[in-house]
Amino acid sequence: MMNTVETRVPVTVLTGFLGAGKTTLLNRVLTENHGKRIAVIENEFGEIGIDNDLVIGAEEEIFEMNNGCICCTVRGDLIRILSHLMKRRDKFDYIMVETTGMADPGPVAQTFYVDDDMQDKLLLDAIVTVVDAKHIWEHIDDSDEAKEQVAFADVILLNKIDLVAPEDLDRLEARIKSMNSMAKICRTRDAVVEMDNILNVGGFNLDRALEIDPKFMEPEYPFEWSGIYELSAGSYEWVMGEGPDPVMGAALLPLSNNGLVAKEATLMDAVLTFSEDEQAVQAGETLRLGNGQHNQLVLNGKGETVFNFVIQQPGCYMLFTEHHPDEFDAHLCGTDAVLVPLETREYKPDHEHDEEVTSVGIALPGDFHLERLNGWLSQLLRVHGQDIFRMKGVLSVRGWDKRFVFQGVHMLFDGRPDRPWANEPRHNKMVFIGRNLDRAALEEGFRACLVS
Amino acid sequence: MMRRIGRRKSPQPSLKAIWRAHIDDHPIGLAWSPDGKLLAAAGVSGPITLFYGADGVVHRKLPGHPLGTMAISWHKDSRLLASVGQDGKVRLWDTKIGTQTAEMAGGASWVERVAFSPAGDLLVSAAGRKLRMWNANGELNCEFPDANSTITDIKWRNNGKQFAISAYNGVVLYAPSEAEPLNRFEWQGSTLTLEWSPDGRHIATGDQDSTVHFWHVESGQDLQMWGYETKVLELAWSFNSRYLATGGGTQAVIWDCSGKGPENTRPIMLEGHQRLIKHLKFQRQGMLLASGGNDGLLAIWEIEKKKPVLLADAVFKTPIAGLAWSPDDRRIAVSDENGILSIAAAQ
Repeated sequence: MMNTVETRVPVTVLTGFLGAGKTTLLNRVLTENHGKRIAVIENEFGEIGIDNDLVIGAEEEIFEMNNGCICCTVRGDLIRILSHLMKRRDKFDYIMVETTGMADPGPVAQTFYVDDDMQDKLLLDAIVTVVDAKHIWEHIDDSDEAKEQVAFADVILLNKIDLVAPEDLDRLEARIKSMNSMAKICRTRDAVVEMDNILNVGGFNLDRALEIDPKFMEPEYPFEWSGIYELSAGSYEWVMGEGPDPVMGAALLPLSNNGLVAKEATLMDAVLTFSEDEQAVQAGETLRLGNGQHNQLVLNGKGETVFNFVIQQPGCYMLFTEHHPDEFDAHLCGTDAVLVPLETREYKPDHEHDEEVTSVGIALPGDFHLERLNGWLSQLLRVHGQDIFRMKGVLSVRGWDKRFVFQGVHMLFDGRPDRPWANEPRHNKMVFIGRNLDRAALEEGFRACLVS
Repeated sequence: MMRRIGRRKSPQPSLKAIWRAHIDDHPIGLAWSPDGKLLAAAGVSGPITLFYGADGVVHRKLPGHPLGTMAISWHKDSRLLASVGQDGKVRLWDTKIGTQTAEMAGGASWVERVAFSPAGDLLVSAAGRKLRMWNANGELNCEFPDANSTITDIKWRNNGKQFAISAYNGVVLYAPSEAEPLNRFEWQGSTLTLEWSPDGRHIATGDQDSTVHFWHVESGQDLQMWGYETKVLELAWSFNSRYLATGGGTQAVIWDCSGKGPENTRPIMLEGHQRLIKHLKFQRQGMLLASGGNDGLLAIWEIEKKKPVLLADAVFKTPIAGLAWSPDDRRIAVSDENGILSIAAAQ
């Protein structure tokens, strides 16, 4: 049965390391005049009523649903407490579940998918992670829990911003976005945040993720810029000033014509070229031309650095650079003038720090074959479920006039039709957040499920 | 409100309500006093109402537990009633005069289970991992070592010589005279409920991982039943220990344990519920089985020669919240989530 009227009670799961500010946030939620009746399940024992609200203590009890399958671990205590809570006449508008600082959010989130009573009556609205902006650096590199808490989040509160310099905060936000591009990030002090940012956010809002970063759905490239030049035979100089890095990768590839197909082919060649070992090119040396020639331009410590190359075959060429040339005030010179590219393109860079935990967003036109999609997703999650933390998507399914929306946690996913497409153009968007994700394989698998 | 639904085979005795009442709460426990004179109905918010079984007149209303009552159990004298709840307490009530006779600490904030021994001399309570045994005056008789995880059920063997608890990791068997367990029936999964076969030879469990287990008590052998739609919380043995009715889906599955047992046999399926079955109860001395589901359907079945026959039914507006056969098997008490309580004659 397709029930489009949502009667389930929304649940927010609150994660974050000890001292990040979860309790401060909870106290705000309980004292704020938001007009909602909230039940909070936290790690303390006991049960207390605060005005209209209720705080219930839980002893975290994690168990595996199926023998040995980590992806199917759930919180047994939550199943019991929430089943009981849902029987009460004094219905709650909202439920918040606080996890312990070191908790993996997986089992909590999974609890709302694997138990029928839970799925019937409750809706996981969002996972909110509170991050201590000052101390997170101590954990983010080597703590799996910290990475998972960031990766699982729909909303991330960067808390204690008053203790951190603005540039460090920008650096932290960039780092967090590289791990989880889907989460909404709020900067807070003393966990002061608009309730709308954490309650009823509908974690599912993929459109929101796109608003935040329009490049999010695009593939990532190992270079940030390309320019197409029409070059006649002769000598050229690539001149660079000082920049943010002492070296920069570059590739110069021939382009057979100015058509889209040719450009895409050259783009792929550039990706392959950038995957080759780079070869250092010192000042005054020759920038190597052609496929497989991954130049690493080594800049002088001070002032301009000049690299040379010679074109024998006149025609169009595409120059790919690891960073935007403007950052180095770089330009291409012919015999007597600076050359302006026919066209340029900027690319979303991949993240050099080689993040274990990343997001992959895929957007494709077309309609899906539902059975094929189900088959592929089941197979994918069976094999890679442990590494895929979250998954969300809005899809166009052949023969359906409603959007098919789904979200998942590890191996579990919940898909349902929501509102009609109406005048909105039909499209498909899917996001994966996880460890060691293979973008190409995901995109290929996803594409194979389209109705051909 | 009860109404009959059409489409069934005649002749069938109709399910007529003898009396009805409303407790204005979600009932979590329905229990007849052993003499059949009183019916106790606990509401999730706390109060326990005692109705006269004959006509539904309220005899007493006990306050129960602040924050909510979790379970109740009658003493065999039909006068003492034990209750446990979310205030962390075990309470004993004199139902004749309507007063509390004892209040004990269960050991954790939620006391979820309580069971009087068949003889009525002992009471076992479970709160989280804490397992405590009391006498009928509320004095602590024994504190058992903590269970490995939260205790989900307690059931006495009919002869009163043993009781079993379920928790994550299966079943643990105790004798009331010893603090250390007699035996452990281990399963790597969360066991949610257990039922002794009336002859005491088997313990059936329902599990979170959608399995049912038959433990042979003497040998500790486990027979597993897979393929349920969802977790199994509903188990009922027929009085002769022949049939075990199990829920865990929209169809009840009935295993015939006679002969060589249910292994490799095709179970009897009860078809008729549109949504998950939440309650299954066999008569105490007869072969009628009552089923209640989230679809609000109460159905009475007769299990004869491997075939279920639907004898009577009624539909409630909200999911069935409790079922209890009267001690003489002639009436059945049923409640729905709205707090409607209805007593019907079985035949």
